[in-house]
Amino acid sequence: MTIDLAYQLRGIRYDYPANKFALELENLEFSAGRIIALVGPNGAGKTTLLLLLGLLQKPTQGELKFFRVDPWQSQELLFEKRKEVVLVTHHPYLFSGTVFDNLVFGLRVREIPEPEWKGRTGEALAMVELNGFEDKPVKELSAGQAQRLALARAIIVKPRVLLLDEPTANIDAGLVSRIESVISEVNARLSTTIIFSTHNFSQAYRLADQVLYFSDGKQVKYSHENYFSGKAETAEKMSWIEPKPGAKIFFPGAHQGHLTCVISPEKIEVFRDDRKNTLSGPNIFSGRIIRLEMAENNLALLRMSGDLNFRINLPIAELEEKGISLSSPVLVRFAPEAVELIK
Amino acid sequence: MMILELLKTIWVSLKVSGSATLIASLLAVPLALFLSSTEFKGKRLILLINQTWMAAPTVVIGLLFYFLLSRTGPLGAFGILFSQTAMMIGQIVLILPLIIGFAYSALRQVDQKARLTALTLGASPSQAGWIVIKEAKYPLIIALLAGFARAVSEVGISMMLGGNIRGETRNITTTIALESSKGEFSNAVVLGILLLGITLGINLMVNTGLREKV
Repeated sequence: MTIDLAYQLRGIRYDYPANKFALELENLEFSAGRIIALVGPNGAGKTTLLLLLGLLQKPTQGELKFFRVDPWQSQELLFEKRKEVVLVTHHPYLFSGTVFDNLVFGLRVREIPEPEWKGRTGEALAMVELNGFEDKPVKELSAGQAQRLALARAIIVKPRVLLLDEPTANIDAGLVSRIESVISEVNARLSTTIIFSTHNFSQAYRLADQVLYFSDGKQVKYSHENYFSGKAETAEKMSWIEPKPGAKIFFPGAHQGHLTCVISPEKIEVFRDDRKNTLSGPNIFSGRIIRLEMAENNLALLRMSGDLNFRINLPIAELEEKGISLSSPVLVRFAPEAVELIK
Repeated sequence: MMILELLKTIWVSLKVSGSATLIASLLAVPLALFLSSTEFKGKRLILLINQTWMAAPTVVIGLLFYFLLSRTGPLGAFGILFSQTAMMIGQIVLILPLIIGFAYSALRQVDQKARLTALTLGASPSQAGWIVIKEAKYPLIIALLAGFARAVSEVGISMMLGGNIRGETRNITTTIALESSKGEFSNAVVLGILLLGITLGINLMVNTGLREKV
């Protein structure tokens, strides 16, 4: 059986006219019928990618195929193809009126006969646990309820592809698992391709068949080991979080509250741990290499487990030079400036 | 003044200004929709010209169209000077920039996501445009009412392009001008109060009934 491709992207570039940001993707394919997570810090290009995949923005350059067809060939084709993919934005927009008005919007423009509406709205609301909300004015909904309604409004049209921009960002902790099971259910029952962006690594791995990482408008080979969360504390123009007791990650500036940060694997230095105490300064961690993979471009991907777990990229030539092999004891170090914060 | 003549005068005002508002809206709202959803070079200039045009004195518009529509003018062949049609054209030109300006800011207030949401849910661009108009319906109604109030209360255009022909192009404002020039102040005052009543009514609708929903 051949796996159908929902999207094929080749040499895609999207430039924002107003600022310097650009999304650049060389080669990217999304298999149909799967759940794919897009992960990366704010400004990584996840939302832009979702707008491109939603056929709502045209790439400045490159080729985007949606189920093997270039949807931008003609306006008619574009509108036809847009009926097959729905994007649920972060902080979704609800049309004024009632929950019902919002739900039937997609059914109405698809000219689905009215007698079907009632059954489908009931079913969609039940999925997101908003049973009986049909006649409620959307003004009276909480942020979380609005988010769930937006999800129901997308699911109700049974799209081939469902795109979700941070689907659980506004959701109460108690309902996150409900939304996650809706995502799995829709995928399993209707074999809908689902592509969602998230900051939450465990969510990405829990739900997705495939996790893709983005940073600065590019797809990168990040691994979740380099994401850490904790409550920020500040002293003398430096802040730190303590993801594990005794393991503090320092970064510049004053910060408060719960933070997540990411350290790009390229920005981490690694040393064999045989000259104890020769390294000094913040952000030094010790551990042992637990995985070693050869990647493209003569790079080795290392996984270190210890005080904290890190993913490190290193040119293969340096492995020998530094005397690093599987299970070597190592020290890693990175500058406080290399720590990227995610709100 | 006979009651029948008075009613006829009121009817001319409502008919001419009502039609002018309707036609101006049909032109202005789609244009405002286009301006509010598209970014292009020269847009600021268009908005600036529109803003300036908003303040154009009625007599200047009256004068311009008098020249255009008079027998020897470029549009003289139509023979519509001193008719309700001529008054209507003048009033359309008068209130068009006002409605464009109000409608533009009304449509800009609608979250840009409304259009995007409609499109991603499968709407065609015209359906998505309609959604944006629907989301802005109360401020848009205010724009139309403001246009109507301006049209019904102007006198320069009605006088110059309508000619104040009794039973034909004579409306509330030209009657007031005529009656007061004749020294018949009581008639002028009655009509003046009536006109104030109409504009007050519109403003009340704008300020009370609609504001709550905006």
